[in-house]
Amino acid sequence: MSKFRKDSGKKLPGVNTSSLPDIVFMLLFFFMVATTSKETDPTVALTPPAGKRTTDLTPYKQRSEVDFLYLGKPRNIARADDFKMGYALSLDNVVQATPDGLYTTNAIGRWKVDKFNEKKSRLTVPIEGVITLIKSDKEAPTGLIFDVRDELQKVDALSIAYSVMEKGNK
Amino acid sequence: MAKRDIPEINAGSMADIAFLLLIFFLVTTTMDKDTAYLRKIPKLIENPPKPPDIQERDILAIQANRQDKLMVRGDMLDPDDISDKILEFYRTNENAPGVYVDNKFPLYSMADLSYYLAQFDGVEKELSALNAQGATEMAAIKENVLNELQKKIDVIKLYNKYKPGGIPEISYQANLRIETQQLTSYELFTKIHSEIEEALYELKNEKSKELFGVSYDVIAQKSATDLEDRESRERMDLLEVLYPARIIEVKPR
Repeated sequence: MSKFRKDSGKKLPGVNTSSLPDIVFMLLFFFMVATTSKETDPTVALTPPAGKRTTDLTPYKQRSEVDFLYLGKPRNIARADDFKMGYALSLDNVVQATPDGLYTTNAIGRWKVDKFNEKKSRLTVPIEGVITLIKSDKEAPTGLIFDVRDELQKVDALSIAYSVMEKGNK
Repeated sequence: MAKRDIPEINAGSMADIAFLLLIFFLVTTTMDKDTAYLRKIPKLIENPPKPPDIQERDILAIQANRQDKLMVRGDMLDPDDISDKILEFYRTNENAPGVYVDNKFPLYSMADLSYYLAQFDGVEKELSALNAQGATEMAAIKENVLNELQKKIDVIKLYNKYKPGGIPEISYQANLRIETQQLTSYELFTKIHSEIEEALYELKNEKSKELFGVSYDVIAQKSATDLEDRESRERMDLLEVLYPARIIEVKPR
């Protein structure tokens, strides 16, 4: 009488996978909630500078109180000469020349006001409170930044932010 | 015909579908934060009045030229040393209100509660007089002044909880002035802002430890995440009044 008889012929029971979809769905929902979809890739190329003690703009982004403005070299190198000092703006993926005061079209001002009017009903702040985040190439001349500032000042969009990568101990 | 059971839907592929979605979101998620230095542009005024005379000692001029060389108050400097200059600017006269330890730096004055309370009463009377006359435009301006004074009074009251007496205030004209040239690089421009933030952080952190016994990070974190936490926000306001950052960015010619 052997108590330990071999289960010859019996297979191992399969692992119950019926809860697998639940687990996967849980992960899925986590990532869906945590996702902040990336602002579209700008049509200008830029490498941001690094800095310390920055402000995190996530809460403003959640309230959509930030507009993104890119300043960099045009991706189409052949066109670099068309722009002042070789730098172009990207407003919602449309390449624009930087304002130059000569035959300025005030594109930035119109862009900002249009964007504001579009989402006005969802915002609690006036246009002065809607931040314009300038993402600029680290080599870009400051003169261009101030040109942009002037355009924004004309339409009363008085909140500005200079984008940098956070570095080191935060 | 006999009634037949409806066959169950095979849910075996559900996991596959969910996985597919999961992988899509995994790939598209960007966890990077947008970090920046927040600044205000001054309002455009059609006919600006003549700017007031500002004492040399109240200005900390940070100048950067087209070759990305830096000068602070006339001294050529390494960009990493700007914060030390800013600390010196704020601290030199800080502990001796009303007296110049060194008259090349902004003067501090002692503001006490009774002075502001008297001011508040005065403005309040003016406001009610204006309202009686029906001068709404002037009344709105006075109301703003009143709000400012109220804020100041709140701050001083909070300060007095930790330290009796008046509150040291830096000269209201003291400012940090960033002067660049057209071709100064954005990198150096943001470096200056970085150094300013660094210095202000150090000032506030030290004061915060002295007054409240906690570091500035803790207060900032609390006031940002906990909306109910009024105390932390008031503390932030107090530190802001003690070390105001008046940054002037001069448009390059």
